[in-house]
Amino acid sequence: MTRDNERHDEAVSRRGFVRTAGLGVAGASIATMLDARQAPAQVRGTTLRILQWSHFIPAYDAWYDKFAKEWGDKNGVKVRVDHIPHLDIPARMAAEFAAGAGHDIIYNGSSILTRLYYKNLTDLTDVADAAAKKYGGWIPTARSLVEVEGRWFGLPIFYILAPMLYRKDLFEANNLKAPDTWELARVAARTLKPKGHPTGIALSQCADANLFWRSMFFSFGGTEAEASGDNPTLDSKELREFLRFAKAIFDEGMTPEVFSWDDASDNRYLASGIACWVHDAISAYRTTEDTNPGVFKNTFLALEPQGQPGKRVSVAAPNVWMVWKFSKNQQAAKEFLAYLIDNDLEGMTQSRGYNMPYLNDRYKKPMPVIGTDPKLQILQDFPKIVAFYGYPGPSTTPIQEIVNLFVFPDMVTKVARGMNIEEAIKWGAGEYRRIYAKHKRA
Amino acid sequence: MTAASQHGGPDATSARAATLSGPSVRSVRSRLRSATARRVAFGYLLLAPAGLYVLLLVGAPFFFSLYLAVTDATVADPVANFVGLENFRAALESDVFWIALRNSIVFLLVAAIFKSLLGTTLAFLLLQEFPGKKLVRGLVVIPFTLPVTISVLNWKWMYDSQFSVINWALNAVGLIGGYGSPSWPIWLGQPELALGACIAVNVWRTFPFSAIVLLAGFTSVPPEILDAAKVDGCSFLQRFRHVVVPMIFPILMVGFLFDTVFTLSDLSVVYLLTGGGPANATKILPVLAYQVGIQAGALGRGAAIALFLVPLLLPMLYLMLRNIKRREY
Repeated sequence: MTRDNERHDEAVSRRGFVRTAGLGVAGASIATMLDARQAPAQVRGTTLRILQWSHFIPAYDAWYDKFAKEWGDKNGVKVRVDHIPHLDIPARMAAEFAAGAGHDIIYNGSSILTRLYYKNLTDLTDVADAAAKKYGGWIPTARSLVEVEGRWFGLPIFYILAPMLYRKDLFEANNLKAPDTWELARVAARTLKPKGHPTGIALSQCADANLFWRSMFFSFGGTEAEASGDNPTLDSKELREFLRFAKAIFDEGMTPEVFSWDDASDNRYLASGIACWVHDAISAYRTTEDTNPGVFKNTFLALEPQGQPGKRVSVAAPNVWMVWKFSKNQQAAKEFLAYLIDNDLEGMTQSRGYNMPYLNDRYKKPMPVIGTDPKLQILQDFPKIVAFYGYPGPSTTPIQEIVNLFVFPDMVTKVARGMNIEEAIKWGAGEYRRIYAKHKRA
Repeated sequence: MTAASQHGGPDATSARAATLSGPSVRSVRSRLRSATARRVAFGYLLLAPAGLYVLLLVGAPFFFSLYLAVTDATVADPVANFVGLENFRAALESDVFWIALRNSIVFLLVAAIFKSLLGTTLAFLLLQEFPGKKLVRGLVVIPFTLPVTISVLNWKWMYDSQFSVINWALNAVGLIGGYGSPSWPIWLGQPELALGACIAVNVWRTFPFSAIVLLAGFTSVPPEILDAAKVDGCSFLQRFRHVVVPMIFPILMVGFLFDTVFTLSDLSVVYLLTGGGPANATKILPVLAYQVGIQAGALGRGAAIALFLVPLLLPMLYLMLRNIKRREY
C-alpha cells in the first residue's frame, strides 16, 4: 500500500467515522426522545389540568398522580390532577362546558358522553392512530365508544371486566359444574340457595344492574340497538327468552336483597361467604382476598357464561379520556395521553389487574397481574367477547339516557316482582322508543 | 274616517302626549318634592338591594329555567332552538314522570306531618329546664348541620340488606326473624319500605330545624300571657292552641314554608340512598330532573321536569302568605 493510498484510506475512514458517528448520535437522540416521549419544547412552562375519577383501587390513584407529576417534571409542564367520584363527572362536564373553562383532560367512566360533546372536544384521531400502529390496533369494540363521523374524540385507555366469580368448594361439594353457561349458573343457584348460599345480581338503580343483566341478555342473542345505533331493537323473541330466564333465576336462586343493592353489595355478599356465585368486577375478588382468606381460597373465576350455545357477550364498564376544545394546552394533553397509553400495562399492574387495555398487543400472554395469577388467567380471553352499552351499536346519546334512567334493569325488576313479561316488554320497549323518538325530534 | 284616526293615529297620539306632558309631569315633580314622597322614595331605595338580590339570585335562575324548558338545549349545545311545550309533553308522556310526581307528593306530605309532630315535641322538650340543656340544644341540631353525604352514607349502612344494625337490633329483641327469613326487612329493596326509609332520613335530617324555628317562636311568647291563661284554667293543649299558636303563627308559617321547599327540592337523600330505585319506587322529581337534565344531558327536558315543582309549591305558598297577611290585620 502506497502512502497516498494510505492517506486516502485514512481520509475516507475519518470522514466515514465522523458521518457514522454523527448519524449515530442523532439517531440515538431521536430514539431516546421517542423512547422517553419527550414532549415538544412549546409545552414547557404550561399547565395541564386533569379531571380524573377516584379509582376503586386507591393505590392506582396514588400511582397515577405520581406518574402524571413525573411526566410533567420531565417535560416542564405543571400537572394538576383532581379526583372526583365518577358519578359526579357528567355534572362537572356540564359545568365546565357552560363556563368554557376548567380541566384540559376530562375522564368519563361508564357513562361515556363523547357523542354528546364531540363538537366541543379535540379530535384525537392522530393519537389513536399512532397508538394503533404501535400496539397492533384497537380491540373491535373500542371504536364504538369514541368515534363520531369517522374521527376519534376520546381515547379509550381501559375498561373494567365482569367475570363470574364462584365458590368452587360449594360447587364441588354439590356435584355442580362450573358456571360456563347461564343454565349451569341457574342450576347452581337453585341447588345452593336452600343450603344458605343464594346468588345475586343487583336489580336496583346502580351501574352493576345496568351492566350485568345486559351481559345475560346479549348472551341470549338479544341486541339493544341496530349496528348503526339509529333505532332500538329491544323487543324481540330473545328478550322474551331472556326475561323468562331472568325471572326463573331470580325466583330460584336469589333473594329480594338484590332490589336494594349498590355496586359494592355483591362484593360484600361474596366476601361474607353467603354467595355461591356473583357476576362482578374483580373488585369482588380483591375484597374477598383482603377480608376473608378462607372464602378467597375457594373463589374461582369463569368466563362470561354462554346464553345461547357458543354465545358469550360481556358488557364491560368503559373508561375514556377526552380533551376539551377550549383547552389552551391541547398539545400537552395529547402528549400526556399518548404517554399514558404507552404505560397502560403499568396502570394495569398498579390497579391490581383491574384496568384492562384496549390495544391488541397488550393481550400477549402472560399479561401483568392476571397472567401470573392462575385463577385470573381466564380474564386474558375476554377482549373477544367484550361489548358496551348499545350493543351491537355505538354508545349513542339515546342509549346514554336509557342507561342513566335504568330502563333495562327496571324492566327486569318488574318481571322479577311478578309483572307479566309482555307488559314489562311493552313498558321497556315503549321507554326505548320514546327516548329514541325524543332524540330524533331534537 | 281615516285609518290613522281610527287607530288613534299620529294626531291623536301627539295630542295625548301634549295632555300628559304638561300637568302630569308637573304633578309628579310636585309629589316628589313633598316630604312623604321623599320618604317613600328613600324606602324604595333601602329596599332596592334586597330586591336586586332576589332578582339576581332567585329571579334570574328561575327565568333561565323557564327559557331552558321551552328549548331543546343540551348540556353540550349552547345554541338552543325554541320547541314550545314539547319538553313538558315529553315529560307527561313518560310513566316514570308520573311515578316521580306521585312519590314527590307522598314524600312532601308524610315528611311534613312527621316533621311537624317531632319538631313541636322537641321544641317543647327543649323549653323545659333541665341540667345540660344548652348542650342538648347544641346536640339536637347535629343531623341538620352534618354534611348530607356523610349522614346519608351512614344511614345507607344502617339500611344494608345484610348488615343492617336496625335489623340486627330488631332481631335481638325478637321482633323479626334472622337474616334470610321472610320477616327480615330489606329497607331499600321493598318499594313501600324504600320510600319510607328515604322519608325517615329526610325527617331525621331536618326536623331539628323545625324544632329550632318553633323554639324561637315559643320563647317570644311573654310568660305573663301564658301565666294569665293558666290562671284562667286553660289546659296545656288549650294554651298551645289558643294562645301560643296564634301568637307565633307567622313564624310557624315561615318555618313550614322553608320545610316544604327543603323537602320538595331534596335531591341528596334519595339520590345517595337508592338513586330512585328499586324500579323507580323512590324516584322523586328532583332526581328525575337531574338524571334527564345533567346525566343524560337533555337540559331542556330536565328543566321542564324540575318546573313541575312550581305548581306544587305555588298554591301552598299563596295560602301561607295570604294567611299570614290576614292575621297581621
